[in-house]
Amino acid sequence: MEDYSLTLGAHLLLWAFPLVLVVLVIVEDLHDRLKPGSER
Amino acid sequence: MTPVEGSTLTTVAVVMVAYLGVLLFIGWRAAKRTHGGEDFHLAGRSLGAWSAGISSTASSESGWVTLGAVGMTFTYGISGLWYAPGCLLGYLVNVYLVAPRLRPLSADQGSITLTDVITRRWGDPKNVLRLTATTIILVCMMGYVAAQMTAAGKAFSSSLGLEGRSGYILGVVIGAAVIILVTSLGGFRAVAWTDLFQGLLVAIALIALPLYAIARLGGFGALVQGLGAIDPNFLSAGGGRLGPALWGFIIGQLGIGLGYPGMPHVITRYMAARDDHQVQRLQVIAMFWGVAVFYGAGLVGLAGRVMLPGLADGEQALMAMALQLVHPVLAGLLLAAVISAVLSTVSSQLLVAASAVSYDVVEKTLGKASDDRRSLVLGRWTVAVVGLLGILVALSEVRLVFWFVLFAWSGLGAAFAPLILLALLRRGVNRHGALAAMLTGTGVTVAWKLGRDAATNPEIFARVWWITLLAAAVILVLGQLTRAFDMADRIAVVAAASLTIISWWLVQQWGLYNLYELVPAFFLAGFAALAVSAITPISVEEASQ
Repeated sequence: MEDYSLTLGAHLLLWAFPLVLVVLVIVEDLHDRLKPGSER
Repeated sequence: MTPVEGSTLTTVAVVMVAYLGVLLFIGWRAAKRTHGGEDFHLAGRSLGAWSAGISSTASSESGWVTLGAVGMTFTYGISGLWYAPGCLLGYLVNVYLVAPRLRPLSADQGSITLTDVITRRWGDPKNVLRLTATTIILVCMMGYVAAQMTAAGKAFSSSLGLEGRSGYILGVVIGAAVIILVTSLGGFRAVAWTDLFQGLLVAIALIALPLYAIARLGGFGALVQGLGAIDPNFLSAGGGRLGPALWGFIIGQLGIGLGYPGMPHVITRYMAARDDHQVQRLQVIAMFWGVAVFYGAGLVGLAGRVMLPGLADGEQALMAMALQLVHPVLAGLLLAAVISAVLSTVSSQLLVAASAVSYDVVEKTLGKASDDRRSLVLGRWTVAVVGLLGILVALSEVRLVFWFVLFAWSGLGAAFAPLILLALLRRGVNRHGALAAMLTGTGVTVAWKLGRDAATNPEIFARVWWITLLAAAVILVLGQLTRAFDMADRIAVVAAASLTIISWWLVQQWGLYNLYELVPAFFLAGFAALAVSAITPISVEEASQ
Protein backbone atom coordinates (compact mmCIF):
# COMPACT_ATOMS: atom_id res chain seq x y z
CA MET A 1 0.00 0.00 0.00
CA GLU A 2 1.33 3.42 -0.93
CA ASP A 3 2.52 5.61 1.95
CA TYR A 4 1.29 9.19 1.76
CA SER A 5 2.70 12.27 3.48
CA LEU A 6 2.01 15.98 3.65
CA THR A 7 4.00 18.28 1.37
CA LEU A 8 6.12 21.07 2.88
CA GLY A 9 3.51 23.67 1.89
CA ALA A 10 0.79 21.64 3.59
CA HIS A 11 2.87 21.45 6.79
CA LEU A 12 3.33 25.22 6.70
CA LEU A 13 -0.37 25.87 6.10
CA LEU A 14 -1.67 23.31 8.58
CA TRP A 15 0.78 23.60 11.51
CA ALA A 16 3.47 26.20 11.14
CA PHE A 17 1.27 29.24 10.45
CA PRO A 18 -1.14 28.84 13.38
CA LEU A 19 1.70 27.86 15.72
CA VAL A 20 3.80 30.92 14.86
CA LEU A 21 0.71 33.12 15.14
CA VAL A 22 -0.21 31.82 18.59
CA VAL A 23 3.38 32.25 19.82
CA LEU A 24 3.49 35.85 18.52
CA VAL A 25 0.16 36.67 20.18
CA ILE A 26 1.39 35.29 23.52
CA VAL A 27 4.72 37.15 23.23
CA GLU A 28 2.93 40.41 22.41
CA ASP A 29 0.63 39.95 25.39
CA LEU A 30 3.54 39.20 27.75
CA HIS A 31 5.38 42.24 26.36
CA ASP A 32 2.33 44.39 27.18
CA ARG A 33 2.10 42.97 30.69
CA LEU A 34 5.79 43.46 31.47
CA LYS A 35 6.05 46.94 29.97
CA PRO A 36 7.12 49.49 32.61
CA GLY A 37 4.20 51.73 33.53
CA SER A 38 1.66 49.20 32.29
CA GLU A 39 -1.68 49.47 34.07
CA ARG A 40 -1.90 45.68 34.36
CA MET B 1 -25.82 9.45 4.96
CA THR B 2 -27.43 6.71 7.00
CA PRO B 3 -30.89 7.44 8.46
CA VAL B 4 -30.96 8.91 11.94
CA GLU B 5 -33.00 7.12 14.62
CA GLY B 6 -36.17 8.76 15.93
CA SER B 7 -34.98 8.64 19.55
CA THR B 8 -31.83 10.53 18.55
CA LEU B 9 -33.93 13.23 16.90
CA THR B 10 -36.10 13.53 20.01
CA THR B 11 -33.04 13.99 22.24
CA VAL B 12 -31.56 16.52 19.80
CA ALA B 13 -34.87 18.44 19.80
CA VAL B 14 -34.90 18.57 23.62
CA VAL B 15 -31.34 19.95 23.66
CA MET B 16 -32.33 22.48 21.01
CA VAL B 17 -35.28 23.73 23.05
CA ALA B 18 -33.03 24.06 26.12
CA TYR B 19 -30.55 26.05 24.02
CA LEU B 20 -33.29 28.45 22.90
CA GLY B 21 -34.36 28.76 26.54
CA VAL B 22 -30.82 29.84 27.50
CA LEU B 23 -30.88 32.52 24.77
CA LEU B 24 -34.21 33.86 26.03
CA PHE B 25 -32.95 33.89 29.62
CA ILE B 26 -29.83 35.86 28.62
CA GLY B 27 -32.01 38.30 26.66
CA TRP B 28 -34.27 38.82 29.67
CA ARG B 29 -31.28 39.46 31.99
CA ALA B 30 -29.81 41.94 29.52
CA ALA B 31 -33.17 43.70 29.09
CA LYS B 32 -33.27 44.43 32.83
CA ARG B 33 -30.00 46.35 32.51
CA THR B 34 -30.95 48.29 29.37
CA HIS B 35 -32.33 51.73 30.22
CA GLY B 36 -31.50 54.14 27.40
CA GLY B 37 -30.41 54.68 23.80
CA GLU B 38 -26.65 54.29 24.31
CA ASP B 39 -27.38 51.18 26.40
CA PHE B 40 -29.49 49.73 23.60
CA HIS B 41 -27.16 50.55 20.68
CA LEU B 42 -23.77 50.10 22.41
CA ALA B 43 -24.33 48.42 25.82
CA GLY B 44 -23.40 51.70 27.51
CA ARG B 45 -19.73 51.07 26.50
CA SER B 46 -19.52 48.56 29.33
CA LEU B 47 -18.39 45.29 27.73
CA GLY B 48 -15.59 43.26 29.29
CA ALA B 49 -12.84 41.57 27.28
CA TRP B 50 -14.60 38.21 26.94
CA SER B 51 -17.96 39.49 25.72
CA ALA B 52 -16.40 42.13 23.44
CA GLY B 53 -13.77 39.69 22.09
CA ILE B 54 -15.93 36.62 21.49
CA SER B 55 -18.88 38.72 20.36
CA SER B 56 -16.75 40.41 17.69
CA THR B 57 -15.47 37.12 16.32
CA ALA B 58 -18.70 35.14 16.63
CA SER B 59 -20.59 37.93 14.85
CA SER B 60 -18.19 37.92 11.94
CA GLU B 61 -18.37 34.15 11.36
CA SER B 62 -21.86 33.23 10.25
CA GLY B 63 -23.01 29.73 9.42
CA TRP B 64 -20.16 29.90 6.94
CA VAL B 65 -17.67 28.66 9.53
CA THR B 66 -19.61 25.54 10.54
CA LEU B 67 -20.94 24.81 7.05
CA GLY B 68 -18.93 26.53 4.28
CA ALA B 69 -15.45 26.30 5.82
CA VAL B 70 -16.02 22.64 6.67
CA GLY B 71 -17.11 22.10 3.07
CA MET B 72 -13.93 23.75 1.74
CA THR B 73 -11.53 21.18 3.20
CA PHE B 74 -14.03 18.36 2.60
CA THR B 75 -13.98 19.27 -1.10
CA TYR B 76 -10.39 20.46 -1.64
CA GLY B 77 -8.38 18.76 1.11
CA ILE B 78 -5.67 20.78 2.87
CA SER B 79 -5.58 23.39 0.08
CA GLY B 80 -9.15 24.28 1.11
CA LEU B 81 -7.65 25.66 4.32
CA TRP B 82 -6.30 28.87 2.77
CA TYR B 83 -9.29 30.78 4.15
CA ALA B 84 -7.79 30.31 7.66
CA PRO B 85 -4.66 32.51 7.23
CA GLY B 86 -6.82 34.96 5.26
CA CYS B 87 -9.35 35.33 8.08
CA LEU B 88 -6.71 35.31 10.82
CA LEU B 89 -4.74 38.09 9.12
CA GLY B 90 -8.03 40.03 9.09
CA TYR B 91 -8.40 39.34 12.84
CA LEU B 92 -4.82 40.60 13.41
CA VAL B 93 -5.57 43.89 11.67
CA ASN B 94 -8.84 44.27 13.55
CA VAL B 95 -7.65 43.55 17.07
CA TYR B 96 -4.16 45.11 16.91
CA LEU B 97 -4.72 48.09 14.60
CA VAL B 98 -8.43 48.92 14.61
CA ALA B 99 -9.64 48.07 18.14
CA PRO B 100 -7.05 50.03 20.21
CA ARG B 101 -7.62 53.17 18.09
CA LEU B 102 -11.34 52.89 17.45
CA ARG B 103 -12.44 52.51 21.08
CA PRO B 104 -10.90 55.78 22.37
CA LEU B 105 -11.80 57.65 19.15
CA SER B 106 -15.47 56.64 19.33
CA ALA B 107 -15.62 57.39 23.07
CA ASP B 108 -14.14 60.89 22.49
CA GLN B 109 -16.53 61.51 19.61
CA GLY B 110 -19.52 60.05 21.46
CA SER B 111 -20.11 57.85 18.39
CA ILE B 112 -22.68 55.05 18.60
CA THR B 113 -22.47 53.45 15.13
CA LEU B 114 -19.85 52.95 12.41
CA THR B 115 -21.64 55.62 10.39
CA ASP B 116 -21.34 57.95 13.37
CA VAL B 117 -17.57 57.39 13.51
CA ILE B 118 -17.20 58.24 9.82
CA THR B 119 -19.41 61.35 9.88
CA ARG B 120 -17.87 62.76 13.06
CA ARG B 121 -14.36 62.02 11.87
CA TRP B 122 -14.72 64.14 8.73
CA GLY B 123 -17.75 66.35 9.39
CA ASP B 124 -20.95 65.89 7.40
CA PRO B 125 -22.93 69.14 7.31
CA LYS B 126 -25.53 67.93 4.75
CA ASN B 127 -25.74 64.27 5.92
CA VAL B 128 -24.22 63.05 2.62
CA LEU B 129 -21.83 60.58 4.28
CA ARG B 130 -24.43 59.43 6.81
CA LEU B 131 -27.09 58.63 4.22
CA THR B 132 -24.61 56.99 1.83
CA ALA B 133 -23.16 54.76 4.56
CA THR B 134 -26.60 53.94 5.97
CA THR B 135 -27.94 52.93 2.54
CA ILE B 136 -24.98 50.60 1.89
CA ILE B 137 -25.27 49.07 5.37
CA LEU B 138 -29.04 48.59 5.15
CA VAL B 139 -29.00 46.95 1.73
CA CYS B 140 -26.16 44.58 2.64
CA MET B 141 -27.46 43.81 6.13
CA MET B 142 -31.07 43.15 5.16
CA GLY B 143 -29.97 40.64 2.53
CA TYR B 144 -27.53 39.11 4.99
CA VAL B 145 -30.16 38.82 7.76
CA ALA B 146 -32.70 37.20 5.43
CA ALA B 147 -30.14 34.70 4.13
CA GLN B 148 -29.03 33.80 7.66
CA MET B 149 -32.66 33.33 8.70
CA THR B 150 -33.04 30.93 5.79
CA ALA B 151 -29.97 28.99 6.95
CA ALA B 152 -31.25 28.95 10.55
CA GLY B 153 -34.67 27.76 9.35
CA LYS B 154 -33.12 24.84 7.46
CA ALA B 155 -30.91 23.86 10.42
CA PHE B 156 -33.79 24.14 12.91
CA SER B 157 -36.26 22.19 10.80
CA SER B 158 -33.78 19.34 10.29
CA SER B 159 -32.69 19.20 13.94
CA LEU B 160 -36.24 19.47 15.34
CA GLY B 161 -37.50 16.84 12.91
CA LEU B 162 -39.85 19.29 11.12
CA GLU B 163 -40.49 18.17 7.56
CA GLY B 164 -41.48 19.74 4.25
CA ARG B 165 -42.24 23.35 3.39
CA SER B 166 -44.30 23.87 6.56
CA GLY B 167 -41.40 22.49 8.63
CA TYR B 168 -39.04 24.96 6.99
CA ILE B 169 -41.42 27.88 7.61
CA LEU B 170 -41.79 26.84 11.25
CA GLY B 171 -37.98 26.54 11.55
CA VAL B 172 -37.46 30.07 10.17
CA VAL B 173 -40.16 31.50 12.43
CA ILE B 174 -38.88 29.79 15.61
CA GLY B 175 -35.25 30.86 15.11
CA ALA B 176 -36.14 34.38 13.99
CA ALA B 177 -38.74 34.93 16.73
CA VAL B 178 -36.28 34.05 19.49
CA ILE B 179 -33.58 36.28 18.03
CA ILE B 180 -35.95 39.23 17.43
CA LEU B 181 -37.30 38.96 20.97
CA VAL B 182 -33.83 38.73 22.55
CA THR B 183 -32.40 41.57 20.43
CA SER B 184 -35.33 43.95 20.79
CA LEU B 185 -35.53 43.51 24.55
CA GLY B 186 -31.85 43.49 25.49
CA GLY B 187 -30.30 45.39 22.56
CA PHE B 188 -26.52 45.38 22.19
CA ARG B 189 -25.91 43.87 25.63
CA ALA B 190 -28.17 40.89 24.91
CA VAL B 191 -26.50 40.40 21.53
CA ALA B 192 -23.01 40.50 23.07
CA TRP B 193 -23.91 38.12 25.92
CA THR B 194 -25.69 35.61 23.66
CA ASP B 195 -22.72 35.88 21.27
CA LEU B 196 -20.38 34.99 24.14
CA PHE B 197 -22.44 31.92 25.02
CA GLN B 198 -22.83 30.87 21.40
CA GLY B 199 -19.24 31.68 20.43
CA LEU B 200 -17.92 29.48 23.23
CA LEU B 201 -20.28 26.69 22.14
CA VAL B 202 -18.97 26.94 18.56
CA ALA B 203 -15.33 26.92 19.74
CA ILE B 204 -15.82 23.91 22.04
CA ALA B 205 -17.62 22.00 19.28
CA LEU B 206 -14.92 22.76 16.72
CA ILE B 207 -12.12 21.75 19.08
CA ALA B 208 -13.74 18.60 20.49
CA LEU B 209 -15.32 17.09 17.36
CA PRO B 210 -12.18 16.94 15.17
CA LEU B 211 -10.07 15.61 18.06
CA TYR B 212 -12.62 12.86 18.68
CA ALA B 213 -13.00 12.08 14.98
CA ILE B 214 -9.24 11.92 14.34
CA ALA B 215 -8.77 9.68 17.39
CA ARG B 216 -11.50 7.40 16.06
CA LEU B 217 -9.81 7.24 12.69
CA GLY B 218 -6.66 5.98 14.42
CA GLY B 219 -4.67 9.20 14.74
CA PHE B 220 -3.39 11.94 12.47
CA GLY B 221 -1.28 9.50 10.44
CA ALA B 222 -4.40 7.51 9.56
CA LEU B 223 -6.16 10.75 8.51
CA VAL B 224 -3.26 11.60 6.17
CA GLN B 225 -3.25 8.09 4.70
CA GLY B 226 -7.02 8.18 4.24
CA LEU B 227 -6.92 11.55 2.48
CA GLY B 228 -3.99 10.51 0.26
CA ALA B 229 -5.85 7.35 -0.78
CA ILE B 230 -8.84 9.45 -1.93
CA ASP B 231 -6.70 12.00 -3.79
CA PRO B 232 -2.95 12.67 -3.31
CA ASN B 233 -3.61 16.36 -4.14
CA PHE B 234 -5.51 16.62 -0.83
CA LEU B 235 -2.12 16.58 0.93
CA SER B 236 -0.58 19.62 -0.76
CA ALA B 237 -1.11 23.35 -0.13
CA GLY B 238 -1.81 23.96 -3.82
CA GLY B 239 -4.23 21.08 -4.25
CA GLY B 240 -2.88 20.33 -7.73
CA ARG B 241 -3.53 23.84 -9.03
CA LEU B 242 -0.76 25.47 -11.06
CA GLY B 243 0.26 28.95 -12.24
CA PRO B 244 -2.35 31.73 -12.35
CA ALA B 245 -5.14 29.42 -11.11
CA LEU B 246 -3.11 28.69 -7.96
CA TRP B 247 -2.24 32.34 -7.26
CA GLY B 248 -5.76 33.55 -8.04
CA PHE B 249 -7.12 31.00 -5.57
CA ILE B 250 -4.63 31.87 -2.81
CA ILE B 251 -4.98 35.67 -3.25
CA GLY B 252 -8.76 35.33 -3.25
CA GLN B 253 -8.78 33.24 -0.06
CA LEU B 254 -6.33 35.57 1.70
CA GLY B 255 -8.39 38.51 0.41
CA ILE B 256 -11.37 37.45 2.55
CA GLY B 257 -9.46 38.97 5.47
CA LEU B 258 -9.46 42.44 3.90
CA GLY B 259 -13.15 42.80 4.75
CA TYR B 260 -12.95 42.52 8.54
CA PRO B 261 -12.20 46.19 9.41
CA GLY B 262 -15.29 47.24 7.44
CA MET B 263 -17.88 45.03 9.13
CA PRO B 264 -20.11 47.30 11.24
CA HIS B 265 -21.43 44.39 13.31
CA VAL B 266 -17.85 43.44 14.22
CA ILE B 267 -16.06 46.70 14.94
CA THR B 268 -18.89 48.17 17.05
CA ARG B 269 -17.85 45.51 19.63
CA TYR B 270 -14.54 47.31 20.05
CA MET B 271 -16.40 50.61 20.51
CA ALA B 272 -18.45 49.00 23.28
CA ALA B 273 -15.41 47.76 25.27
CA ARG B 274 -15.21 49.29 28.74
CA ASP B 275 -11.62 50.60 28.56
CA ASP B 276 -8.24 50.12 26.86
CA HIS B 277 -7.31 47.33 29.26
CA GLN B 278 -10.31 45.26 28.02
CA VAL B 279 -9.16 45.87 24.44
CA GLN B 280 -5.68 44.52 25.25
CA ARG B 281 -7.18 41.39 26.80
CA LEU B 282 -9.65 40.82 23.98
CA GLN B 283 -6.77 40.67 21.49
CA VAL B 284 -5.57 37.34 22.89
CA ILE B 285 -9.10 35.98 23.34
CA ALA B 286 -10.14 36.82 19.77
CA MET B 287 -6.97 35.39 18.20
CA PHE B 288 -7.20 32.11 20.13
CA TRP B 289 -10.89 31.77 19.25
CA GLY B 290 -10.05 32.38 15.59
CA VAL B 291 -7.26 29.80 15.45
CA ALA B 292 -9.39 27.18 17.24
CA VAL B 293 -12.49 27.74 15.12
CA PHE B 294 -10.91 28.08 11.66
CA TYR B 295 -8.53 25.16 12.06
CA GLY B 296 -11.17 23.12 13.92
CA ALA B 297 -13.60 23.60 11.04
CA GLY B 298 -10.87 22.65 8.56
CA LEU B 299 -10.04 19.46 10.46
CA VAL B 300 -13.74 18.51 10.68
CA GLY B 301 -13.91 18.75 6.89
CA LEU B 302 -10.76 16.63 6.44
CA ALA B 303 -11.88 13.98 8.93
CA GLY B 304 -15.40 14.01 7.45
CA ARG B 305 -14.01 13.33 3.98
CA VAL B 306 -12.33 10.14 5.21
CA MET B 307 -15.11 9.00 7.57
CA LEU B 308 -18.10 9.81 5.35
CA PRO B 309 -16.86 9.32 1.78
CA GLY B 310 -20.44 8.91 0.49
CA LEU B 311 -21.63 12.28 1.77
CA ALA B 312 -22.83 14.28 -1.25
CA ASP B 313 -22.66 17.77 0.29
CA GLY B 314 -19.43 18.56 2.18
CA GLU B 315 -21.10 21.49 3.95
CA GLN B 316 -23.25 18.99 5.85
CA ALA B 317 -20.18 17.13 7.19
CA LEU B 318 -20.32 18.54 10.72
CA MET B 319 -24.02 17.82 11.15
CA ALA B 320 -23.69 14.35 9.64
CA MET B 321 -20.74 13.50 11.90
CA ALA B 322 -22.60 14.82 14.94
CA LEU B 323 -25.65 12.67 14.26
CA GLN B 324 -23.69 9.53 13.43
CA LEU B 325 -20.65 9.58 15.71
CA VAL B 326 -21.57 10.85 19.16
CA HIS B 327 -24.19 10.46 21.89
CA PRO B 328 -27.52 12.17 21.02
CA VAL B 329 -27.09 14.78 23.79
CA LEU B 330 -23.67 15.74 22.40
CA ALA B 331 -25.11 15.64 18.88
CA GLY B 332 -27.75 18.12 20.06
CA LEU B 333 -25.05 20.40 21.44
CA LEU B 334 -23.06 20.17 18.20
CA LEU B 335 -26.14 21.05 16.16
CA ALA B 336 -26.85 23.89 18.59
CA ALA B 337 -23.30 25.07 17.81
CA VAL B 338 -24.05 25.03 14.08
CA ILE B 339 -27.17 27.13 14.68
CA SER B 340 -25.28 29.32 17.18
CA ALA B 341 -22.84 30.35 14.47
CA VAL B 342 -25.81 31.49 12.39
CA LEU B 343 -27.88 33.17 15.10
CA SER B 344 -24.98 35.07 16.69
CA THR B 345 -24.44 36.73 13.31
CA VAL B 346 -28.17 37.33 12.69
CA SER B 347 -28.67 39.11 16.01
CA SER B 348 -25.62 41.34 15.47
CA GLN B 349 -26.63 42.24 11.93
CA LEU B 350 -30.24 42.79 12.93
CA LEU B 351 -29.10 45.29 15.54
CA VAL B 352 -26.79 47.08 13.07
CA ALA B 353 -29.64 47.36 10.54
CA ALA B 354 -32.01 48.61 13.24
CA SER B 355 -29.44 51.11 14.57
CA ALA B 356 -28.95 52.37 11.01
CA VAL B 357 -32.67 53.12 10.74
CA SER B 358 -33.53 54.27 14.25
CA TYR B 359 -30.29 56.06 15.21
CA ASP B 360 -28.68 57.20 11.94
CA VAL B 361 -31.84 58.05 9.99
CA VAL B 362 -34.63 58.86 12.47
CA GLU B 363 -32.58 60.36 15.32
CA LYS B 364 -29.62 61.94 13.54
CA THR B 365 -30.84 62.80 10.03
CA LEU B 366 -34.47 63.59 10.83
CA GLY B 367 -33.71 64.90 14.34
CA LYS B 368 -36.47 62.90 16.13
CA ALA B 369 -36.49 61.05 19.47
CA SER B 370 -33.65 62.95 21.05
CA ASP B 371 -34.30 61.87 24.64
CA ASP B 372 -32.81 58.64 25.92
CA ARG B 373 -36.04 56.85 26.81
CA ARG B 374 -37.67 57.50 23.42
CA SER B 375 -34.45 56.41 21.71
CA LEU B 376 -34.67 53.05 23.52
CA VAL B 377 -38.33 52.50 22.58
CA LEU B 378 -37.64 53.49 18.99
CA GLY B 379 -34.66 51.09 18.84
CA ARG B 380 -36.75 48.20 20.17
CA TRP B 381 -39.57 48.71 17.70
CA THR B 382 -37.15 49.10 14.80
CA VAL B 383 -35.50 45.75 15.62
CA ALA B 384 -38.94 44.12 15.63
CA VAL B 385 -39.96 45.67 12.30
CA VAL B 386 -36.61 44.99 10.57
CA GLY B 387 -36.67 41.43 11.92
CA LEU B 388 -40.19 40.82 10.61
CA LEU B 389 -39.13 42.17 7.22
CA GLY B 390 -36.21 39.73 7.34
CA ILE B 391 -38.62 36.84 7.99
CA LEU B 392 -40.84 37.91 5.08
CA VAL B 393 -37.87 38.11 2.71
CA ALA B 394 -36.53 34.75 3.96
CA LEU B 395 -39.90 33.07 3.41
CA SER B 396 -40.58 34.66 0.03
CA GLU B 397 -37.01 33.81 -1.09
CA VAL B 398 -36.69 36.94 -3.25
CA ARG B 399 -33.99 35.98 -5.72
CA LEU B 400 -32.44 39.43 -6.05
CA VAL B 401 -31.83 39.65 -2.31
CA PHE B 402 -30.03 36.33 -2.17
CA TRP B 403 -27.97 37.22 -5.19
CA PHE B 404 -26.93 40.40 -3.39
CA VAL B 405 -25.95 38.50 -0.26
CA LEU B 406 -23.21 36.83 -2.25
CA PHE B 407 -21.31 40.08 -2.18
CA ALA B 408 -22.58 41.52 1.11
CA TRP B 409 -19.22 40.65 2.70
CA SER B 410 -17.13 42.13 -0.09
CA GLY B 411 -19.50 45.11 -0.50
CA LEU B 412 -19.29 46.10 3.18
CA GLY B 413 -15.58 45.28 3.30
CA ALA B 414 -14.70 47.37 0.25
CA ALA B 415 -16.97 50.30 1.18
CA PHE B 416 -15.82 50.62 4.79
CA ALA B 417 -12.59 48.71 5.53
CA PRO B 418 -10.19 51.06 3.65
CA LEU B 419 -12.08 54.04 5.06
CA ILE B 420 -11.89 52.86 8.67
CA LEU B 421 -8.18 52.09 8.30
CA LEU B 422 -7.55 55.52 6.77
CA ALA B 423 -9.67 57.19 9.48
CA LEU B 424 -7.62 55.57 12.21
CA LEU B 425 -4.15 55.45 10.72
CA ARG B 426 -3.73 58.36 8.38
CA ARG B 427 -4.39 62.04 8.00
CA GLY B 428 -4.92 63.66 4.61
CA VAL B 429 -8.32 62.18 3.76
CA ASN B 430 -11.34 64.52 3.69
CA ARG B 431 -15.10 63.92 3.57
CA HIS B 432 -15.18 64.00 -0.23
CA GLY B 433 -12.51 61.30 -0.30
CA ALA B 434 -14.58 59.30 2.20
CA LEU B 435 -17.64 59.59 -0.07
CA ALA B 436 -15.57 58.49 -3.08
CA ALA B 437 -14.22 55.48 -1.16
CA MET B 438 -17.67 54.21 -0.14
CA LEU B 439 -19.10 54.60 -3.65
CA THR B 440 -16.01 53.14 -5.35
CA GLY B 441 -15.87 50.16 -2.97
CA THR B 442 -19.52 49.34 -3.62
CA GLY B 443 -19.39 50.00 -7.38
CA VAL B 444 -16.23 47.98 -8.05
CA THR B 445 -17.53 45.11 -5.93
CA VAL B 446 -20.74 44.94 -7.96
CA ALA B 447 -18.96 45.28 -11.32
CA TRP B 448 -16.28 42.69 -10.51
CA LYS B 449 -18.77 40.25 -9.03
CA LEU B 450 -20.89 40.52 -12.18
CA GLY B 451 -17.70 39.81 -14.12
CA ARG B 452 -17.15 36.66 -12.07
CA ASP B 453 -20.71 35.62 -12.90
CA ALA B 454 -20.31 36.60 -16.59
CA ALA B 455 -20.26 32.98 -17.74
CA THR B 456 -23.81 32.49 -16.48
CA ASN B 457 -25.14 36.01 -16.99
CA PRO B 458 -23.18 37.82 -19.73
CA GLU B 459 -25.96 40.30 -20.65
CA ILE B 460 -25.94 42.13 -17.31
CA PHE B 461 -22.13 42.26 -17.21
CA ALA B 462 -22.05 43.81 -20.70
CA ARG B 463 -24.33 46.60 -19.45
CA VAL B 464 -22.26 47.53 -16.39
CA TRP B 465 -20.78 50.68 -17.97
CA TRP B 466 -24.08 52.38 -18.66
CA ILE B 467 -25.75 51.11 -15.45
CA THR B 468 -22.85 52.77 -13.58
CA LEU B 469 -23.31 56.02 -15.52
CA LEU B 470 -27.04 55.92 -14.82
CA ALA B 471 -26.47 55.31 -11.10
CA ALA B 472 -23.97 58.19 -10.96
CA ALA B 473 -26.46 60.46 -12.75
CA VAL B 474 -29.23 59.54 -10.29
CA ILE B 475 -26.93 60.27 -7.32
CA LEU B 476 -25.86 63.61 -8.84
CA VAL B 477 -29.48 64.64 -9.51
CA LEU B 478 -30.50 63.66 -5.96
CA GLY B 479 -27.58 65.66 -4.58
CA GLN B 480 -28.65 68.63 -6.73
CA LEU B 481 -32.34 68.46 -5.80
CA THR B 482 -31.60 68.24 -2.07
CA ARG B 483 -28.83 70.88 -2.39
CA ALA B 484 -26.58 68.51 -0.44
CA PHE B 485 -23.73 68.32 -2.94
CA ASP B 486 -20.98 70.84 -3.52
CA MET B 487 -18.53 70.64 -6.43
CA ALA B 488 -16.13 68.39 -4.49
CA ASP B 489 -18.92 65.88 -3.81
CA ARG B 490 -19.70 65.79 -7.53
CA ILE B 491 -16.02 65.11 -8.23
CA ALA B 492 -16.18 62.22 -5.74
CA VAL B 493 -19.21 60.67 -7.50
CA VAL B 494 -17.61 61.04 -10.95
CA ALA B 495 -14.34 59.53 -9.67
CA ALA B 496 -16.19 56.53 -8.18
CA ALA B 497 -18.13 55.96 -11.42
CA SER B 498 -14.91 56.23 -13.46
CA LEU B 499 -13.04 53.74 -11.27
CA THR B 500 -15.99 51.33 -11.44
CA ILE B 501 -16.05 51.46 -15.24
CA ILE B 502 -12.24 51.14 -15.41
CA SER B 503 -12.38 48.05 -13.18
CA TRP B 504 -15.13 46.58 -15.39
CA TRP B 505 -12.88 47.15 -18.40
CA LEU B 506 -9.85 45.67 -16.62
CA VAL B 507 -11.71 42.47 -15.71
CA GLN B 508 -12.22 41.84 -19.42
CA GLN B 509 -8.81 43.06 -20.65
CA TRP B 510 -6.81 41.01 -18.17
CA GLY B 511 -9.22 38.08 -17.96
CA LEU B 512 -9.39 38.39 -14.17
CA TYR B 513 -12.74 36.64 -13.92
CA ASN B 514 -11.61 34.39 -11.07
CA LEU B 515 -10.13 37.05 -8.77
CA TYR B 516 -12.25 37.63 -5.64
CA GLU B 517 -13.87 41.07 -6.05
CA LEU B 518 -12.96 42.33 -2.57
CA VAL B 519 -9.24 42.49 -3.47
CA PRO B 520 -9.47 45.04 -6.32
CA ALA B 521 -12.45 46.85 -4.72
CA PHE B 522 -10.58 47.35 -1.43
CA PHE B 523 -7.48 48.85 -3.05
CA LEU B 524 -9.41 50.99 -5.56
CA ALA B 525 -11.59 52.38 -2.75
CA GLY B 526 -8.47 53.30 -0.77
CA PHE B 527 -6.99 54.89 -3.88
CA ALA B 528 -10.21 56.84 -4.48
CA ALA B 529 -10.14 58.20 -0.91
CA LEU B 530 -6.57 59.45 -1.26
CA ALA B 531 -6.86 60.74 -4.84
CA VAL B 532 -10.14 62.63 -4.34
CA SER B 533 -8.89 64.09 -1.05
CA ALA B 534 -5.75 65.32 -2.81
CA ILE B 535 -7.70 67.29 -5.43
CA THR B 536 -10.59 68.61 -3.32
CA PRO B 537 -10.50 71.27 -0.59
CA ILE B 538 -10.53 70.45 3.11
CA SER B 539 -13.54 71.85 4.99
CA VAL B 540 -13.43 74.19 7.98
CA GLU B 541 -14.73 71.45 10.32
CA GLU B 542 -12.09 68.99 9.11
CA ALA B 543 -9.31 71.52 9.44
CA SER B 544 -10.27 72.05 13.07
CA GLN B 545 -10.03 68.32 13.90
